[in-house]
Amino acid sequence: MEFFRKTLDPIIALAAIAVLDIFMFLLMGAWTVGGGETMMTGLMAQAVLGDELQRIPFWNIVFPPHADYWKIYISLGMLFGAFVGAVLSKEFYWRVPRHLSEWVLITIGGLLMGFGIRLAYICNVSTFFGLMPEMNLGGYLAMSGIVAGAWVGSLVYKKLLEGDA
Amino acid sequence: MTPVVECLVAFLFGSVAGLLMQRSRFCNTAALRDAIMFKTYRNTKAMLVAMMILTVGFTGFMSVGAGHPLQFDVGLNTFAGLFLFGIGMVLAGACTVSTWVKAGEGNIGALWALIFTFVGMFLFSLVWSASWWPPAPQTMTGQINLPALQLGFANAQTLQDKFGVPAIVFGLAQTAFLAMLYRGILRRERAQHAEHEKHQKEHQKKKAARAAAVEA
Repeated sequence: MEFFRKTLDPIIALAAIAVLDIFMFLLMGAWTVGGGETMMTGLMAQAVLGDELQRIPFWNIVFPPHADYWKIYISLGMLFGAFVGAVLSKEFYWRVPRHLSEWVLITIGGLLMGFGIRLAYICNVSTFFGLMPEMNLGGYLAMSGIVAGAWVGSLVYKKLLEGDA
Repeated sequence: MTPVVECLVAFLFGSVAGLLMQRSRFCNTAALRDAIMFKTYRNTKAMLVAMMILTVGFTGFMSVGAGHPLQFDVGLNTFAGLFLFGIGMVLAGACTVSTWVKAGEGNIGALWALIFTFVGMFLFSLVWSASWWPPAPQTMTGQINLPALQLGFANAQTLQDKFGVPAIVFGLAQTAFLAMLYRGILRRERAQHAEHEKHQKEHQKKKAARAAAVEA
């Protein structure tokens, strides 16, 4: 099938996602990522710590873990959809970062993303495709934050690249 | 809707979105990073188009009271959290969405980023349990609360209620602004293209001159 041979124009892809997102907004709410991951974190922590988790107030008050939280399934869906797309277009293969520096950057980056999402109550998808289109004040705050962060991140990244060379 | 139906709808949406992002190689991180670092706008343009469609759609339905907008107070933590997130996504080379998509393509680095996103969230849960800041959703008031560095809650709906003008009017204004940004990018791309062609022509001329000199 043509769809699995050629790269799709991202404008078409995102326009289609936007239309679907409007339907989901009418049913449940806009596309977000972060809430689902937090719930997964809570469920995993509960599996490891059991009732001990109750001693951390965050998991009692802000995010009591439960598995029927719809946002979890957006993320699992994305994993599934991307897997199907990659397999059908023969683009699935194991990619492993080669250098130790990559592993370090990914680790720091992941930690900052997780911490940042919970501090803000949102991630970048809910910023651009949720809060901003709802014209939520938080969207403009978050937008300024992420652009400033991406700029600082790019500076750091450039410095590191130059350091490698 | 029952929670099970919600989860099914969410999974369906996620699957289609994941498939489309995999096929188009769309990445939110690239939309910001490439514009800043490399002055290329392939993903930025797609992001702007989606934002325009969504702004019209969301504010349109919000004008008649339909839809489920996000409801929580925002404040300094919104800015600070996304600032940290912005640094993190550039370092990790992917945002939360693209980590899922890339993990689906077999990228172990993306899976590693995801694992540490979970770890980061857990670390935050410990910090929150000591600081109790930002305020928990149950204690959010929707009002400005400066001691807690909170600015309350405002969106197209509250604008409509306050000014008596339908939310879609504000939405159209925002869409017009996004469209201006989009046109600015197109103009910039055309300028880059013209510059590139000029360079190539000069290069060819030099090559021809050199060839002529060798022959002579």
